[in-house]
Amino acid sequence: MDRNVCIIGGGMSHWGIRQASARDMFQEAGKACFNDIPGLSNKDVDGLIVASAFTERSCFQTHLAPLVAEYLGIKPKNICARVELLCASGSSGIILAYGLIKSGIADVVMITGGEKLFTPQKWEVFYSELGTGDHDWDGSQGLGLPPPFFSMVAQRHMKLYGTTEEQLAMVSVKNRRNGLNNPKGQYQKAITLEEALNARHVVAPLKLFDCCPVTDGAAAVILACEEKAKEYTDKPLVYIKGVGQATVNNMSANMPSMTTWEALKIAGNQAYSKAGVKPSDIDVAQTHDCFTISEIIESEDLGFCEKGEGGLFVQEGRSDYGGDVAINTDGGLLSCGHPFGGTGIRQGIEIMKQLRGDAARQVEGARTGLTHNLSGLSAAHTVLVYGRDI
Amino acid sequence: MEGISILNGKYAVSMDMYPLQDKNYNMVYKFYDNLKEGRFTTTKCTDCGARSFPPRIICPECLSENMEWVDLPSEGTVLVVAEQEAGVPLGFQAPLIHAHVDLGGELTYLGRVQNCKAGELKEGDKVKLVVIPIEPVPADGKKGAVIQHERVFFAFEKVK
Repeated sequence: MDRNVCIIGGGMSHWGIRQASARDMFQEAGKACFNDIPGLSNKDVDGLIVASAFTERSCFQTHLAPLVAEYLGIKPKNICARVELLCASGSSGIILAYGLIKSGIADVVMITGGEKLFTPQKWEVFYSELGTGDHDWDGSQGLGLPPPFFSMVAQRHMKLYGTTEEQLAMVSVKNRRNGLNNPKGQYQKAITLEEALNARHVVAPLKLFDCCPVTDGAAAVILACEEKAKEYTDKPLVYIKGVGQATVNNMSANMPSMTTWEALKIAGNQAYSKAGVKPSDIDVAQTHDCFTISEIIESEDLGFCEKGEGGLFVQEGRSDYGGDVAINTDGGLLSCGHPFGGTGIRQGIEIMKQLRGDAARQVEGARTGLTHNLSGLSAAHTVLVYGRDI
Repeated sequence: MEGISILNGKYAVSMDMYPLQDKNYNMVYKFYDNLKEGRFTTTKCTDCGARSFPPRIICPECLSENMEWVDLPSEGTVLVVAEQEAGVPLGFQAPLIHAHVDLGGELTYLGRVQNCKAGELKEGDKVKLVVIPIEPVPADGKKGAVIQHERVFFAFEKVK
């Protein structure tokens, strides 16, 4: 059995500094997702995948999937498990559900992901970050929160290719403007280039608006086989066309290059070739803009522009609405925030809406879309290609 | 009263920023034994010759279990520096100076540079590995005894 798989609905909780528990936010996200598919009841879902990275550290809660199933009134019978790949946990959940549905093991699967990162004392989440790289070899050097690493990436890219601080700032200006399209994101406030350039340093050359914030939040989507999708929704069908997930190193000592992300090129090529598309076919993309420099490198290594031209790509408006490929049309991580397990799912929701034609701000005629997550210190990369055509 | 009373004097692996080093807890404890003698070492496969870092018990190239310990250069050149003032994890001092260090062309490493002020370290500077004492691990022994597992770790310092 090899079936077509559709993304048929999605929704998210409000993201930001939330006066809510993880279980509260999973309920909000699940409810918002079900609201998007009026023809489907929670009893129709036969599988649940929950994506969360810090659940044990900031909530003291393992065995999360049955808990979420109970809260959402879902009684899964084909899969009920959690998946973790830090910042790409959500996209990993979508890939796994895709495989289960494609192969006939499940028919209708909810993937919900999210994090509660704001705990009563702020030091806790910073400290927990020491466990996100190789704890014994990188974490023990104090390498936890990602800004120092991405500062080095930015410095190297600037030196090698002449990328400028203005070009970095242009990514945040674009994405904060696009963030106005997502009322549930952490920020709904556009910024000017001057504000971005004059903001305080986090880790130089990265300034406040170059970095995504710490975020509480959750999101959920439902995937279904094509036959069930037609049964539950009369909205245009959006298919998952191809996926790739790659890693070539984890620990810093084994990183082949700071400025060319080999694992991203591999994951991208896998997703493109399985989908039968090339980079120029992508109309709209949500790429992992944890930092402004990340989006610049991603536009290069995903093949949207030549290596080293990522800065120019944003400067010339080629990653904006009306450009070659609209990137981060709902504000990305820089504006929506980044509750690790929720991010890949939020990206999937925005691409689904863009391809259905009901996005808050529409990329006209979009038929093929892409999502990308990096995770860890750029240690793994995850790419999905979605399309109206299969 | 300070803290959570049940945790007073207790050790939690999940809150330890350093690795467990004693041979009770891992199979590459020789790295730390060597480090205590001032040697920075790793494992090399005696079958295929692949040198790994971090040290392994199995060669990731040919899956051989035949590993030997070899020395790594303990001096290197700074490739790029990041100075962290905000969000420095508890237990580390601000500014936390991170450096991508090239150790004699054999290995690059993202290491912490201690005793270094902001603005002091630049690309091309030389740094050397320094061995630092860290807090021991208090482990449960027999009949309520507490065994202290002594530990060291390493950081880098600018060669002046």
